Amino acid sequence: MIQTLALLHAAYRELNARKLFWVTLGLSGLVVVAMAIVGLNEKGLTILWWQFDLAFLNTRIMPVDVFYKFIFAQLAVPFWLAWLATILALISTASIFPDMVSGGSIDILLSKPIGRVRLFLTRYLTGLLFVLLQVSVFTIAAFLLIGFRGGAWEPWILICIPLVLLFYSYLFSICALLGTITRSTIASFLVTMLFWLLVFGVNSGEQITLAGRTALDISLGYSQEDLQEAVDAEDPIEVTEPLQLLCDEDQQSLDTWESFHLWFFSAKTVLPKTAETINLLERVLRERTGMEVGGPPERQDMLFGASQQISTREFEEKLQETMDDRSITWIIGTSLLFEFFVLGLACWYFSRRDF
Amino acid sequence: MTQSSPLSIDLKDVTKTYRGGVFALRGVSLQVHPGEIFGLLGPNGAGKSTLVKIMMTVVRPTTAQGQVLGKPVGHNGTLANVGYLPEHHRFPPWLTGRQAIEFAGAMCKMPRKLRVRRTDELLDLVHMREWAKKRLGTYSKGMQQRIGLAASLVNDPQLVLLDEPTDGVDPVGRREIRDVLTQMREQGKSVLVNSHILSELELICDRVAILVQGLVARQGTVASLTSSSRCYEIISRATSELASTFDGVEFESLGEGRSLLRIPSDDPIAVQPILDRLRSSEVMIESVVPKRESLEDLFVRSVTDPSTGLALDPGANRSSKSDVRSFGTPSPPPPPSEPPVGGVS
Repeated sequence: MIQTLALLHAAYRELNARKLFWVTLGLSGLVVVAMAIVGLNEKGLTILWWQFDLAFLNTRIMPVDVFYKFIFAQLAVPFWLAWLATILALISTASIFPDMVSGGSIDILLSKPIGRVRLFLTRYLTGLLFVLLQVSVFTIAAFLLIGFRGGAWEPWILICIPLVLLFYSYLFSICALLGTITRSTIASFLVTMLFWLLVFGVNSGEQITLAGRTALDISLGYSQEDLQEAVDAEDPIEVTEPLQLLCDEDQQSLDTWESFHLWFFSAKTVLPKTAETINLLERVLRERTGMEVGGPPERQDMLFGASQQISTREFEEKLQETMDDRSITWIIGTSLLFEFFVLGLACWYFSRRDF
Repeated sequence: MTQSSPLSIDLKDVTKTYRGGVFALRGVSLQVHPGEIFGLLGPNGAGKSTLVKIMMTVVRPTTAQGQVLGKPVGHNGTLANVGYLPEHHRFPPWLTGRQAIEFAGAMCKMPRKLRVRRTDELLDLVHMREWAKKRLGTYSKGMQQRIGLAASLVNDPQLVLLDEPTDGVDPVGRREIRDVLTQMREQGKSVLVNSHILSELELICDRVAILVQGLVARQGTVASLTSSSRCYEIISRATSELASTFDGVEFESLGEGRSLLRIPSDDPIAVQPILDRLRSSEVMIESVVPKRESLEDLFVRSVTDPSTGLALDPGANRSSKSDVRSFGTPSPPPPPSEPPVGGVS
C-alpha cells in the first residue's frame, strides 16, 4: 500500500509539474463558463445580456433543465471531454510509460521490492489519474451549473466521470502498450491516435450500415404490406408483380446491407466501443432523468436506396431502439475485454523485458 | 531447499545471452562477504552492469545460481534490504531532493515517519540539506549523484550496489563518498562498487574482481592479485658487471652512470645481501623502494591478450559461448610503473 500511495503521490506531483494539466483544466473551466453564460427563456436563447428570439428553441419547447442537460450530454461531453480534452490528456500522459522504461529511471523502480506487473498497473492507474481529476472537476462544475441554472439537481450527471474514465482507459491501454514497446512518446501518441481513428472508422461504418439496414428493413416492411394488401384485394398480376419486384429489390439490398453490417459489427465487437461508451451518458440521462429532446421533424424521405419513401421519425426511432437494445454489458464488457487483453499483453512484455 | 549462504553475494555460473547471440555473461561466479567493499572492474561492455542489474532484477539472467543476502538471485523481497545506485540514474526532474529520497524509501515500504527521519540524516550525510527543497532539474550532475547515493541508502541496506558512484562528483565529494562507504563497511554492511576510477577503488576496496568479456578474469584482494609483481628497486651507481653477479636481479641503465636494480621479491631480507655488496663495493645508493603493481597495471594486464600483447576488444563476446578465453594462467606482470606507497629512501 505504501508503494502504491507513493506512486500515486509521485504521479500527482508529475501532473502538477505539467503545464498542460493546468491548461486543460483551465479550458475545462472555460467550457463550463461558456455553458453558464448561455440561458433559455420563453422567447429564446440568452447569452449574457443579449437576447436571441428563437421560435424553435425556447422554454415552451424545451424545459431549461433539459436544455442544460442536453448541452452537457450532447455538446460538452462528446466534443470537449471525449474529443479535445482527450487529445490533450493523451499528449500529457503519452510520456508516462516511455519515461518509466527509459534508462536510469526503470533501474531505480525495478530495484525496489515491487512486482513488475503491479508496478506497471499502478503506473497505468496514475495515467488515468489525469483524466479522473479533469473529468471530476468538469462534471462537478456542470452538476452545480445544471442545479443552479437549470434548477435540476441530477446526481446521474456524475455518471459521466466513470464513463469518460472508461472511454479514456481504452485508448490509454494502447498508449501504455506502445510506450512500453517503443519507448517513444511520439510514436505511442501517434499510433494511439491512429488506433482511435480506426475505432472511429469502424464505428462510423457500423452506424452507416446499421442505418442502411434499418432503412431497407422499414422499406421492405412497406413493400410487403403493399403486396399483402394487393394479394388480399386479389389485384391482378399486373399490380402484384411490380410490388413483388419491389419487395425482391428491397430484400436484395437489405441482404447486402446486412452482410456489410455484420462485418462492421463483428469488428466493432472486438474493438473498444468509444463512441457508444460516451453515448451511454445520454442514454442514462434519458432513462433516469427523463431528458427528452424530441425526435426529428416528421417527413418522408428516400434513404439508403430504399425502393420507397420512409418515415424519418420511424427510421430514427427504430435506429434508436436498436442502439438502446445493445446492453451495457456488451458495450462496456467487450471493451473492457479488449482493454484487459491489451494490458495483459503489455504486462507480459514488461515482465519479460530486460532493461 | 537451498541452504542460506552466509555471504552477502554468492553467485555461481551466472550467464546472460542477449538477443542476437551476444554473450554478456558467460558463467560468472562471485563472492562478496559481509563487511567488505568489493570492486567490480572491467573494460566497457565486459558485463559489469549486466551482472549488477541481474542482482537487482532489472535484467533476467539466462542461467543463474547462487544467492543475494541468503535468498535466490531474483528474489523480489530481498530488494528491501539492498541499495542500488544505477549508472546515469534519472529521478523525475520535478521532484525535489528530499522527495526523491523519500520516494525511494516509500518504494522500499518504509513507514512515513521512519523515511522522513532517515531522509534528514542522509541529506546531512551527503551535504545536500540546503538544496533539499529544490527540484532535481536544477541540480548539477554531482549534486544529483549525491541525492542518488542518499536514495540508495535510505532503507539502511545490508548490501549496496553502486554503479559509478563518483561520476561527476568533485574531489571533496569523492572523498566524502569514500568515507560513507568505509563507514558502511565498519557497520558490517557489504558494498559492491562498479567503477572505472581504479585509483579510488584501490583506496577502499578489500577485494576486487576483474570482468573481461563476460568472465571473471581475476578475483581476490588487491594484495594477493599483485603479489607476483612485488619487488624492490634499488637506484644506485652500480655497473652491469657488478649487477651480473647477483642472481635473478634485473639491471637497467638510467644513464649518467645511474642504474636500476630490480629484485623480484617482497621480502626485505632478500635485499640485504645486495645492499651489503653495493656498500662494500663503495657504490653510492640513491634509493631503495618496495614496489608492487598498481590496480591499474593489474587491470591493463587482465584485459591484454597474452598471445598478442594487445588489449582485448571491448564489449561482449559475440562469437560463441564455448569460445572462452582462458584466464587461468595470467600473463607475467610488467615492470611496475606506479610510484610506491610508502617508499624507503
